[in-house]
Amino acid sequence: MTDLRPLSPAEAAQGLRRAGDAARGFLGTDPVTQNDALLARELTRREAQVYAAGGALVGCVPNRAQPRQAYVSSTSAGPEPVRALLGHLTTYQRRTSFVALVPEEGAAAFLGAGFAHSGVLPGHHYAGHAFHDLLVLVKEEPCRS
Amino acid sequence: MPIVTVRHFTEEDVPLRTELLREARFAANLTDFAVGSDDDGLQARQLRTITEEHRTKRIFTVCGAHGRVLGFAWITSIDWRAQCCELSFGVLPRDRGLGAFAVYAVHKHLRDELNMRVIVNQVYTHNTMFLSAEALEAQHQVRCERDSHTVGQWRTACYWTLSDEDIRQHEASAEERRRELAERIRERIEARS
Repeated sequence: MTDLRPLSPAEAAQGLRRAGDAARGFLGTDPVTQNDALLARELTRREAQVYAAGGALVGCVPNRAQPRQAYVSSTSAGPEPVRALLGHLTTYQRRTSFVALVPEEGAAAFLGAGFAHSGVLPGHHYAGHAFHDLLVLVKEEPCRS
Repeated sequence: MPIVTVRHFTEEDVPLRTELLREARFAANLTDFAVGSDDDGLQARQLRTITEEHRTKRIFTVCGAHGRVLGFAWITSIDWRAQCCELSFGVLPRDRGLGAFAVYAVHKHLRDELNMRVIVNQVYTHNTMFLSAEALEAQHQVRCERDSHTVGQWRTACYWTLSDEDIRQHEASAEERRRELAERIRERIEARS
């Protein structure tokens, strides 16, 4: 299992900058349109928790209206860091419901970790002079208590 | 066309931009406030832009090959909802011949990533660094007498906007020029062989 190391908002901003295009849209942020200070501020405002997972970054933003649910993101192309994040969130934070908003090309990491298609947000993200659809992927874990 | 990239302005860029703010032609062509400001004040002002002023002002660093800094661009009067902003430029003296490439790269970044649709340009009439006097006369949409006072003189400013349609026309005419040039080169090569 991939180890997770918690990052401060400033560390997370630097990590997202290094991750390049893979970090665009990470928990609703974008290193291309936001500088490091703004990334750190946005992550703080969203109460984001970001972790280094091997060479990738994973993170979550809690859904304030549904405390067992979290929005999750990953800069990895593979599912292993996502599995590690979900394991951490279910074990230590008793989360049972996970939502990922990702472009088509970013879906594999989540589908590989057991997420299922739930819907599409049309034209939700602007980049490269075009609006892009985002897939809504969901995974539910059984409630343990 | 040289490789010109646009990135966020960072803390490490502040000393270089401070030096540029005090340069004689920059002061005459844009604003001369820096000539009467101390280093600490100028530094604090730019750091505040990096850390706090994201909604109202953004500075970008324009780089050439191998990330070498060519100059800086900044947007002000930002109306996010109307997707409109004013764009200013300062190219370092050593790279001033590359100004046109820098302008194009920043315009593209503002449109492609920040989704700006109308970009307002302002140039004082005595400044022929980006556009010749004739080109400025042909380009401008608004002429404002005594717009600003820099380095002891009143300056007349020309304003114009660039819309998506203007950029499309510019790209089409640039492509046409490239095509004509390639055609001429091909004809010469064929004539020699």
